[in-house]
Amino acid sequence: MADPKLGVYICSDCGIGEALDTEKLENIAKNQYRIEVVKTVPFLCSQEGAQVIKDDINNEGVNKIVIAACSPRVNSDTFDFDPAQYITERVNVREHIVWSQLPAALEEVPAQEASEAAPAETASDEAAPAEAAPETAEAPAEASSKMVVNENTQEMAEDHLRMGIVRAQKSEPPEPFIEAVERTVLVIGGGAAGLTSALESAKAGYKVILAEKEAVLGGWAGKMYKILPDKPPFEDVKTPDIDEKIAAVQSHENITVLMEAHIDSIAGTPGQYDATISHNGSTETHRIGSVVMAIGWKPYDADKLGHLGYGKFKNVVTNVEVEEMAAANNGTISKPSDGQQAKRVAFLQCAGQRDPEHLPYCSSVCCMTSLKQALYVTESDPDASAYIVYKDMRTPGLYENFYKAAQNNPGVMLTKGEIVSITEDSSGNIILEIDNTILGEKVRIEADMLVLATGMVTNMLPEGAEKVTDLTPEYVGQWKETKTQDGIIKEVIADPVVLNLVYRQGPELPYLKYGFPDSHFVCFPYETRRTGIYAAGSVRAPMTAMQSANDGVGAALKAIQCVELTSRGQAVHPRSGDESFPEINFTNCTQCRRCTVECPFGALDEDEKGTPKTNTSRCRRCGTCMGACPQRIISFKNYSVDMIASQMKAIKVPEEDSKPRIIALICENDAYPALDIAGLNKIQTNPFYRFITMRCLGGTNLVWIADALSAGIEGFLLIGCRYDDDYQCHFVKGSKAANERLGKVQETLSRLMLEAERVTQVQLAMNEWDQLPKIMDDFAEQLKSFGPNPFKGF
Amino acid sequence: MADETVDKTEETAGAGNDATADATAEETAVTAAETPVAGDASELSEGDTAATEAQVASEATSVTAENVPDVREAMLIKPDVGFVKEIINGGGTDLKKCYQCATCSVVCNLTPDDSPFPRKEMMWAQWGLKDKLMGDPDVWLCHQCSDCVAQCPRGAKPGRVLQAIAKMTISRFSWPGILGKGVGSPAALVLMVAIPVLILLGVISQFGHLTNPSKGNIILDGSGHQIVQDVKTGGEIIYSNFIPIPAVDITFTLAFFFAILAFAVGSSRYWKLLSAHAVSEGGTLKGSGLGNLGPVLGEIITHKRFGKCDETEDRKVSHMFIFYAFLGLFVTTAISVIGEYLLHKHSPYGWNNAVPVKWIGSVSAAAGLIGIGWIMINRFKHAAKIGIGAYFDWLLISVVATVIVTGILAWGLRVANTPVAYTVYFIHLASVLFLFIYAPFSKMAHMVYRTVALVFARVTGRDMGIE
Repeated sequence: MADPKLGVYICSDCGIGEALDTEKLENIAKNQYRIEVVKTVPFLCSQEGAQVIKDDINNEGVNKIVIAACSPRVNSDTFDFDPAQYITERVNVREHIVWSQLPAALEEVPAQEASEAAPAETASDEAAPAEAAPETAEAPAEASSKMVVNENTQEMAEDHLRMGIVRAQKSEPPEPFIEAVERTVLVIGGGAAGLTSALESAKAGYKVILAEKEAVLGGWAGKMYKILPDKPPFEDVKTPDIDEKIAAVQSHENITVLMEAHIDSIAGTPGQYDATISHNGSTETHRIGSVVMAIGWKPYDADKLGHLGYGKFKNVVTNVEVEEMAAANNGTISKPSDGQQAKRVAFLQCAGQRDPEHLPYCSSVCCMTSLKQALYVTESDPDASAYIVYKDMRTPGLYENFYKAAQNNPGVMLTKGEIVSITEDSSGNIILEIDNTILGEKVRIEADMLVLATGMVTNMLPEGAEKVTDLTPEYVGQWKETKTQDGIIKEVIADPVVLNLVYRQGPELPYLKYGFPDSHFVCFPYETRRTGIYAAGSVRAPMTAMQSANDGVGAALKAIQCVELTSRGQAVHPRSGDESFPEINFTNCTQCRRCTVECPFGALDEDEKGTPKTNTSRCRRCGTCMGACPQRIISFKNYSVDMIASQMKAIKVPEEDSKPRIIALICENDAYPALDIAGLNKIQTNPFYRFITMRCLGGTNLVWIADALSAGIEGFLLIGCRYDDDYQCHFVKGSKAANERLGKVQETLSRLMLEAERVTQVQLAMNEWDQLPKIMDDFAEQLKSFGPNPFKGF
Repeated sequence: MADETVDKTEETAGAGNDATADATAEETAVTAAETPVAGDASELSEGDTAATEAQVASEATSVTAENVPDVREAMLIKPDVGFVKEIINGGGTDLKKCYQCATCSVVCNLTPDDSPFPRKEMMWAQWGLKDKLMGDPDVWLCHQCSDCVAQCPRGAKPGRVLQAIAKMTISRFSWPGILGKGVGSPAALVLMVAIPVLILLGVISQFGHLTNPSKGNIILDGSGHQIVQDVKTGGEIIYSNFIPIPAVDITFTLAFFFAILAFAVGSSRYWKLLSAHAVSEGGTLKGSGLGNLGPVLGEIITHKRFGKCDETEDRKVSHMFIFYAFLGLFVTTAISVIGEYLLHKHSPYGWNNAVPVKWIGSVSAAAGLIGIGWIMINRFKHAAKIGIGAYFDWLLISVVATVIVTGILAWGLRVANTPVAYTVYFIHLASVLFLFIYAPFSKMAHMVYRTVALVFARVTGRDMGIE
């Protein structure tokens, strides 16, 4: 970039001009930071206002633009200057300060004092609290009342302006990391999701390698007698049509199908993966850009359901077995004991599901499946009936119509109920004893056979895996204890299952619960914790074939997006389009491995000695590595340990104990907008906080805490996302990593003879904005109880 | 509930009560107190009142009072698809749409608070639990207000379902059974109409003049000789020439007593099954049937229950019209019979008789006309919201309408001396005969079965009347 030249623009509208002394703000920029281009512009977001900035860019050579106005979450289209050339720093004086702090108030001012105050103020930018606005200074010299800005509000704005200027000074426009990419998508699994993913990617012009472990395509969708409705009005079962999709895949010129394939390894980074796949006895390595993992599900092991009669009574079968029976016999369901057609078929929903001993979750499909199979029973014999016993009938979305249609069949009988016992009589009939039915009493039903609606287990778990509630954390594998200088470290050595990734953190995708690949479930369902690898279909959550196909489309689009953004050197998600990336200054690396261990996305590999190896296109740019590094050697062009440390230094710490200074590190995804919303609602917050925006709390470096506390800052409040099982962190592990790091800060604080509670982390979701004032006040109160920071004034 | 369930299983299995049972004793004791001990009603069918195994078993289980877990034996239910289809075909078309939200029971103003209808009946009906429904007096406690039909979020029309079940009750207990089936079946309509028509034709051809009765103006005297009579004040149309009055009276008296007999058989069968069911469910019969008949009749003559309907408020008045019309016509007929045979005052009567029989009859006929017309209009008025009704309803409505309209016309045409009067009179007699002999099998039977059910509900303490 050309010689850095800052321009500072202060907007005086939206109440900013009334609440703040903008001239004083200007003076800070001019006098303290020696910036030439400093302007207060009314209505800065108007065309004329923005033109002022554009003119300065063109005429004055301004390339670092500091805008003290509204939140960067608004007017982003107006202040949209090319990030490759310009640094744009938005200082949020509107939502975070003016709208959430005390406004100017009417005060009686003796005439003389007013006229004297004005010149004094212009002389020094470090002047005492502003008492006079410029226009009143020219007012006639007589006692009058006038608007006086609030001292704390003004100081808060001044500090934030200083921090903004420093941040701009320390930022450089990023230069994208660009490598050649291969525009080929590897789709693993040829079921409903995989076939759709392959076809959609191919239609979009991408080459596809479809690897299927079996000898036929179609997966479960090809094994059904009938499938659930997949079109409006969602009422009738239909004949499987997966063959059409298989034919389309097989005939598409962009798709190479590898049958009976095994993934030996996947090495490299998005855009440049090398996938080694063996099939037909030969092994080949293919260059691919991204991966769709659609490996589907397996039925829960019914042998574990002995308490429901499975394995004990001949006429107790699973829903999968009934489906096979129907497919083989054109819809006729016969009793396994004697092969006679079953006239009374009972279905037990949630068999081994929503049960802490088996699958604790609902597979969401089985209610529809049982309704479908009940129709097999009544359609092959109109006098036959199907009795469905459920905990809750769950037919999400438009499948409600299917439920209604099936329920309307006279032979399909439904009741809620809890199974008391399942027994067999001498002729092989199954007797169900059910309590809490909606028939109003405990009943017994005699049936020719019983179908257990068993659930779905992700194929992320190997055959015969442990109980899904009792898995090793993150990966299926074995515990291993390693002795290090920090003590014994216990970690899981992951077993390879499907992907065989050549990644430092393990060969498979990490899971969160029950084996399903971890992802930010709400915002990023397909994105796993490995950039470039997208999960689709029942591997990531139980779903129907129709939903799997939809998933296949979604994951294909993600896989394409990944290749395209990678080709431009941009982050894929959640910071889509971000061209910055972490760079390591290796000369000071101590090979401590913290970065390679802590990266939530397995982006960093390492050599034998432990020296990290960056894989930029795997990176999500959260900065967790930057926070983890004790050597402070991991930096982005526009985000670094030094930059934030400098921001902290820019905060003016007054000597008065009545003006404590507290730093709040706020996550840009939740805490920042929460503060914005508090401002929009004009909720007053504590004025002694100084907000520093973090990409993620995972980037919190402990060095800041020691530095800032020694400089007289009273305390640190880290406001981040919820972590652990129900995490909301966009970067999955960021807020958790910050919290773990804070556990280690105690040592630093005790060395400084400070209370550990001076550094506190809170978990806050965006919608909890109304709790912010209390959280902030409580923490300030707590700090007050410790007494002032002894380092203040040094 | 889960713990309790375990206890129950252990109890049944003979494991006795143990520490687990003690732990939940308090909870289970409460449940036991609230839940009446239910027996096994599964094998229960017509007239079967035998004590069940379950009761014996529950008595044999000796447990201390505090530790009484729920010893209910689970009832073996026998779902019957055929019965479900029968209800659907009998007017409960949308039965299967019910998803058990209980809106129906909430909006119903007639249901008792405890185990209210029609929710439970809907579930039993969906599962085809025929025995339960046949022995359930609640089916008749329902007065077809149709509040539930209008409010049901799924359009399952619970009122229509109960009505279909009620119809099946009539058919099931009917004697002779074949008539019960025939009257309920649209396919048998022609045959059913043919029976009273043929009986009447037979009687007329035997005792009257089927062709040109006016020309002869001949009637039979007491000894069977034909006598030519004068034209009297009533004009040339003399119905007694067409069919002699004693022939009419004997035919209809026989029909009347046939209906009484059929009702007696049907209602006693019904009562027996109701009693057996109530006992098997742990209920007791507290009072006598006759003792409770009074208050029930009191409710009937005031139409108290009808008055509770929201959606079809006006049915109370329309039904009252038809109810009192029938009562008035019954009185008219009684007076006429007394007049004819005891006082020898022959019809037709004039307006100025000492006993205002002409007035009573005419006013009743007018009330009947208003009532039945109103009922029909109401049916159309409410059609969109609650449906127009089933074959069973319209069969009775049509017959009653025919009786009333032809009755009035028969009078008018006689006075006007129009020969077509004989045809109309014939239709009138045939429709009245239809009404009489089929009363125990048509919707008309509601007057007996509903009364029986209301009395029974009082006897078991289920429903002591409506406030």
